[in-house]
Amino acid sequence: MKAVVHSASTSRKNREMKKYLLTPLKTLSAVAVLCFAIAAWAATPEIELIIKDHLFFPAILEIPAGQKVRVRIINQDPTPEEFESFELNREKLVIGNGQTVIFIGPLEPGEYPFFGEFYPKTAQGVVIVK
Amino acid sequence: MIESNYCSCRWLSGLVFKAFMSVFVGLSLLSQALADGSAVDKVYHPYVDALESEIEFRSLFQESSSGGKDFKQLHQVSFGRSFGQALFGEVYLVGERSRSGQFELEAFEFEVKWQLTEQGEYSADWGLLFEYEQEFNDDVQEFTTGILVEKEFGRFSGTANLLLIQEWGSAIKDEFETAVAMQARYRYSRAFEPGVELYAGQDSAGIGPVMMGSVSLGVRKTLRWEAGVIFGLGSDSPDNSFRFLLEYEF
Repeated sequence: MKAVVHSASTSRKNREMKKYLLTPLKTLSAVAVLCFAIAAWAATPEIELIIKDHLFFPAILEIPAGQKVRVRIINQDPTPEEFESFELNREKLVIGNGQTVIFIGPLEPGEYPFFGEFYPKTAQGVVIVK
Repeated sequence: MIESNYCSCRWLSGLVFKAFMSVFVGLSLLSQALADGSAVDKVYHPYVDALESEIEFRSLFQESSSGGKDFKQLHQVSFGRSFGQALFGEVYLVGERSRSGQFELEAFEFEVKWQLTEQGEYSADWGLLFEYEQEFNDDVQEFTTGILVEKEFGRFSGTANLLLIQEWGSAIKDEFETAVAMQARYRYSRAFEPGVELYAGQDSAGIGPVMMGSVSLGVRKTLRWEAGVIFGLGSDSPDNSFRFLLEYEF
């Protein structure tokens, strides 16, 4: 009987030990996942695309093939504009004097035109993937 | 080192996507025994365009050989608009006409779509769909929760909707159902994108070719269209379902 009590007590202690060991492990895992997410966010190169006077600056964006890129679109006009490209499969509105972010790629080498839907005659550009 | 972490995260994201799709396929097979009525509807994409409104009209025509379900027409008209960058709300009126009956308004619906991730940020793009439906003539209510996922493969896009439907009311058996809708499409041009769609619900499943596209009618004015023929799978499914959608975005 004693042996049984001793065994039960040991088992409980083992469980508690495991619990204490698991808690930091879970915390570490969560931190690791968070770090990976932050690293992934930070590792994606960012380029800026300015909208001013209903034109894109620069009008030509060069990015490497096979690389995902974060494009920060900054609208310096007081009116909204929409970045649109069927070739890039992207459509994103930017409010007047506001900014937004889109992700493009990884892409094959080639040219991918884009335009502003509100001012399509002037707001034009192209992504060149090399 | 950063690149290594980046790869790990992409690997994790890819793993989540693959696990989700495995469950998805399993549930799509299971759902044939669970969900009510026709499963053919439309495939939702997990994206919201800010400052956009739309008027949509969609129709479904079903035909069956003897022993199958009745010939049926389902028509829906809706108005929707976006709220901020990530939410899109839509109100529907649903009408139905069977072979033996007159056309009549059946139900109204409220629907909210929530874009969860930025397009292209992760290995797949995610969104949620919530839909409440109330019939006019019977005490039948329905609440749908859906997971929307889309992934790009170059010019190909694959989209999946996994729907959990709760039905209740005095005129219907209280129950949970599931339904699945999947689409693979090739972005050939803005005006023409061919694809294939698969639907599965209770007593009905189907697969068939679809075509879709959009035409610009001016600044922030677009006419979007979809059409498809879904061939029934199994003896309980309608032989053919023809679906059409016309959407004016502004």
